[in-house]
Amino acid sequence: MYVSYRWLGRHIDLEGLSPEQLCEDLTLSTAEVEGMEKFAPHLADVCVGLVKQRVPHPDADKLSVCTVDVGQEETLTIVCGAPNVAAGQKVAVATVGTVLPGDFKIKKSKIRGVPSQGMICSVRELEIGDDHDGIWVLAEDSEIGAPVADALDLNDWVIEIDNKSLTHRPDLWGHRGIATELAAIYHRPLKAISFDWPEWGDGAPYPIRIDTPACPRYLGLPIDGAKATPSPDWLRWLLLAVGQRPIDCLVDLSNFVMLDLGQPNHTFDRHSLDPEGISVRMAREGEGMRTLDGEERVLQPSDLLICSGDAPVALAGIMGGESSKVGDKTDALLLEVATFAPAIVRRTSNRLGLRTDASARFEKSLDPTLPERAAAHFARLLAEIQPDVRFPAPPTDVGEWTDPAHTLTLRPDRVRQELGKAIDDEEITAILERLGFGVEAQADGYAVAVPSARSTKDVHLDRDLVEEIGRIHRYGNIEEKTMLAQVAPPPKDPRRNLVRAIQDQLAGSARFHETISYSFVDDGLLEKLGMLDLPHVRIVNPVAQSENKIRRTVIPSLLSGIETNRRLLEDVRLFEVGKGYLPNPDDPNKQPRELHLAGLVWATAPRGPEARFDAHTFNQLQGLTTDLLDRLGVIEVQWRPAAPPPPWAHPAKALEAVAGQDAERLAVVAELDPGFHAALGLSGEQTSEVAIAEISLDAILIAPLRGGRYSPLARYPGIKLDVAVALPDHAAAATVREAIEKAGKGSVADAELFDLYRGESVGAGRKSLAYHVTLQSDKKTLTEKDEQKFLKRFEALVGELGGELRNG
Amino acid sequence: MSDPASGEAGTPGEADSNTDSSADASADASADASADANTLADAQAKIFACDDVDALKAVEREFVGKQGVVAQLLASISKLPPEQRRGVGQQANALKQGVQEAVQNRQQTLAEARVAADRQGEGFDASLPPPRPRRGSLHPLTQVTRELEDLFQSMGYTVLDGPEIETDYYNFEALNIHADHPARDSHDTFFCEGDGHLVMRTHTSPVQIRALETLKPPLRVVVPGKVFRHESTDASHDHTFHQMEGLVVDRDISVAHLVGAMKTLLRGIFDRDLEVRLRPGYFPFVEPGFELDARCPFCQEGCRVCKRTRWIELLPCGLVHPNVLRAGGLDPDEWGGFAFGLGLSRLVMLRHNIDDVRHLLGGDVRFLEQF
Repeated sequence: MYVSYRWLGRHIDLEGLSPEQLCEDLTLSTAEVEGMEKFAPHLADVCVGLVKQRVPHPDADKLSVCTVDVGQEETLTIVCGAPNVAAGQKVAVATVGTVLPGDFKIKKSKIRGVPSQGMICSVRELEIGDDHDGIWVLAEDSEIGAPVADALDLNDWVIEIDNKSLTHRPDLWGHRGIATELAAIYHRPLKAISFDWPEWGDGAPYPIRIDTPACPRYLGLPIDGAKATPSPDWLRWLLLAVGQRPIDCLVDLSNFVMLDLGQPNHTFDRHSLDPEGISVRMAREGEGMRTLDGEERVLQPSDLLICSGDAPVALAGIMGGESSKVGDKTDALLLEVATFAPAIVRRTSNRLGLRTDASARFEKSLDPTLPERAAAHFARLLAEIQPDVRFPAPPTDVGEWTDPAHTLTLRPDRVRQELGKAIDDEEITAILERLGFGVEAQADGYAVAVPSARSTKDVHLDRDLVEEIGRIHRYGNIEEKTMLAQVAPPPKDPRRNLVRAIQDQLAGSARFHETISYSFVDDGLLEKLGMLDLPHVRIVNPVAQSENKIRRTVIPSLLSGIETNRRLLEDVRLFEVGKGYLPNPDDPNKQPRELHLAGLVWATAPRGPEARFDAHTFNQLQGLTTDLLDRLGVIEVQWRPAAPPPPWAHPAKALEAVAGQDAERLAVVAELDPGFHAALGLSGEQTSEVAIAEISLDAILIAPLRGGRYSPLARYPGIKLDVAVALPDHAAAATVREAIEKAGKGSVADAELFDLYRGESVGAGRKSLAYHVTLQSDKKTLTEKDEQKFLKRFEALVGELGGELRNG
Repeated sequence: MSDPASGEAGTPGEADSNTDSSADASADASADASADANTLADAQAKIFACDDVDALKAVEREFVGKQGVVAQLLASISKLPPEQRRGVGQQANALKQGVQEAVQNRQQTLAEARVAADRQGEGFDASLPPPRPRRGSLHPLTQVTRELEDLFQSMGYTVLDGPEIETDYYNFEALNIHADHPARDSHDTFFCEGDGHLVMRTHTSPVQIRALETLKPPLRVVVPGKVFRHESTDASHDHTFHQMEGLVVDRDISVAHLVGAMKTLLRGIFDRDLEVRLRPGYFPFVEPGFELDARCPFCQEGCRVCKRTRWIELLPCGLVHPNVLRAGGLDPDEWGGFAFGLGLSRLVMLRHNIDDVRHLLGGDVRFLEQF
């Protein structure tokens, strides 16, 4: 909200208070000031000039050459194009060197051969109005040579207050409310304003009927003889300062009263209203109306309407209708000042996306005692500006409103305890009284009378009074205190520890970069991964329609990260620890199932034929995952084909790790389905090997974990030997491993596959597997004889697999 | 190598001093003996001239090797008259000893010289880039979150987690933001499909209620997490960002305690005391509510970060609203508390001088690898 410094001066004496001071104090005691600017700063740069002579330009029909006195020794010659310039006028002159809005610098120039030493300005050139038909003619008594801002007393500052910090303060949505705060802060009295009604005639009161509790009060005042003439300067300037475009005095006064007292109001053309008068009712299904902005609105039964007879003429509290618009020729008006149910106004304005100055105020819960004062204020000001107006009848004031003013009990000890400062009773009561609260001592403290203006929304509990006292006393005057409380170590948090362990492991030597991505997942991406049809939690109002789903897993966004980064990097490794959500299958309105997941993706250029057999990203990622699970202490981990494989996985190259046959899946490692590479931009120059792992933190947290026990060190040295077997290509490596175990009869301490070879020397359709084997016993030192026995048994077992030993 | 002058001068002298009866034999013997003395000097000179271990070994072999001078001398003993044998034997041993000693000394000298030369560090290029192990990176949000979690845990706070998809009740209703409350506007909520009561949480505050429901007072908790606001994005706004909520519930909590706790917190974050100011702020779930500003830690006279005000808005906070305590099942006459919120995304941006919030969730490795 914009507040004008000069406008505040109508309500409180600002003597000695700079605008800067005001802003600082409002921020510290009342509401956040977001900024302050000098109003129309260039008005200080242009000066008042007197046009002494005007002659036509010798070479141009539309130009004239003016001799202008700007209070200096020499008069200025200025070429002017405005049709309305005339000798004897006081005008605003921008002399050579002045910079006007838009960085427009006035220079000495020649216009069609005639030198010009400045410019006579229009209001538009000074950005204080739209009028560009002619120059701005100033009041006759303006002092020649003085800056226009001084001559017209237009030095003003515009203070912008953060609307959010006024959400709970309907009383602060007008200048008088802000002035009330200043009165409390600076111990100054508010200037009195008369809210006495002007005289009215004895005509019949205008018929108004309320058919709904959504309108607690409706006050209508008929006005005759009002004309839509331009507003007086004082009114125009104040409105301009707060960013309102002056229209005519009827519109301007309506705005002025709203911005002065915080009470929106509306004027109807009484001639265009039904003789039956005004009725206030809820809209009917399917009803429609055209609002002042020209839009056709489709209404719902939750919308509150002002009707002429039965025809809608205004969306209550939001915007008037076009049919009863006050035109230039209107002279019979009906002034409406009402109170509407805040929730009703808010819902309609939200639904229609129609936010107005009026709706912003009504939805904050306006004081129902205010309409009477606001109407009187309007009427008095109008009568001052247009002495001929008449009020043919007394106002019609209907509605079942009640004054919300109430009384709270305040115990001063409570104030001192909650603020943590020994503020004495005298200061407590003084602050409340300065803010307009009534204070009376009673047995257990004070009875505090909350004024109506503060009673609708804000002040309901004694805690609310504590805030009033604290902010005017100034929070900055409260010294810090240390809490004295017993502190026990917080309980252990296994999941947080697990997250940290995974992050540290991956971001360290595993060389993965951690990402954090959006929870919204793009339809295009899901489609590329064949996941679009899976059930997702959906957003009704997404940022973009294609991002209306909440992710089930972190994998899709990681894959899009691969797409982004593969262009720049040969080797991209990304991981994310985050949440996925599965909609509740029984009831979409129940909270979805929350999954805690870690996702890893690894993409590289394809490994060449000379690469080691296990150098592929898939093998590496499986190894990494195995190691990770081991480091996390999970035991009994087994890998088996993933059933079913996740949607993004290669249908065959997908494994899952479980700890126990029926246990939950701890992790899946897979190659990206080759069918998705092209869509993800991972073909052509960016052709990649992509491996993906998805780890379930939830499963790890319930998996069997290794105890802390150490294994005794071997007492006898072991034997190390290498064995290689050639066998049919379809035979699984696991069978060889089993054969080694079996041949060792419990003495195999380690067997590591170090080579896998296919080629001429083993024959077509066959492969060679080579292992480093360590045999060890905890009873004796093994000998050459033991080794021979092992090899003999192994050879026989390999033979059963259709293979043979390759080393003698 | 050998000095011819001394050889010539020596030979007559040796001959002169020789008084042996057998001219031939004595001449031979004296020649051998004198050769012997000369040989040691000769060997010493050769040894001294050696500049490396291999040369030294060669010289050693020449004199005391299997075919060396000493071996030949000893082999010649059998041909000598018995009375000369002993002398020649002694001379041979002396020569052997002398050579070995000299070799040893020379070896020592060369070893020392080698160390000395090594220490000159010749050819060392201090500017040569070292090979570095490559590593991954932890997201800057993770780093700041962990730091704060650890800081709070050290002050007795429990770290809690909460769902990103929340019910209207926890996100708004229980926090004193009723339906039709205008404060809902500033929350720019994403609504989930259904009957409208599931939302993407707009703040981490719902976990205040969850904490009150599950933990017994007195309590101290912080809640880091992702939150969502339906805003248009630009360099300083994103619809998804990270916050950390704090809640303390105890008896007799006052604004003065809140100020003390917030100052301690800022000291922990910025490693120094920052001047702070508390001013009114409106959040329906606290009463009174505050904005806590800190002196801009980045400038003395106003900068881009503080928008030239020298204050940065850091911590919205306040005393827990009695209605919130009640929603959590506590009696506001018995218990009080304060709550605060920290913008984690904002702290990360402040700390690393990041000028575009969208980098945080953008997943670009060129950004991530810097942390």
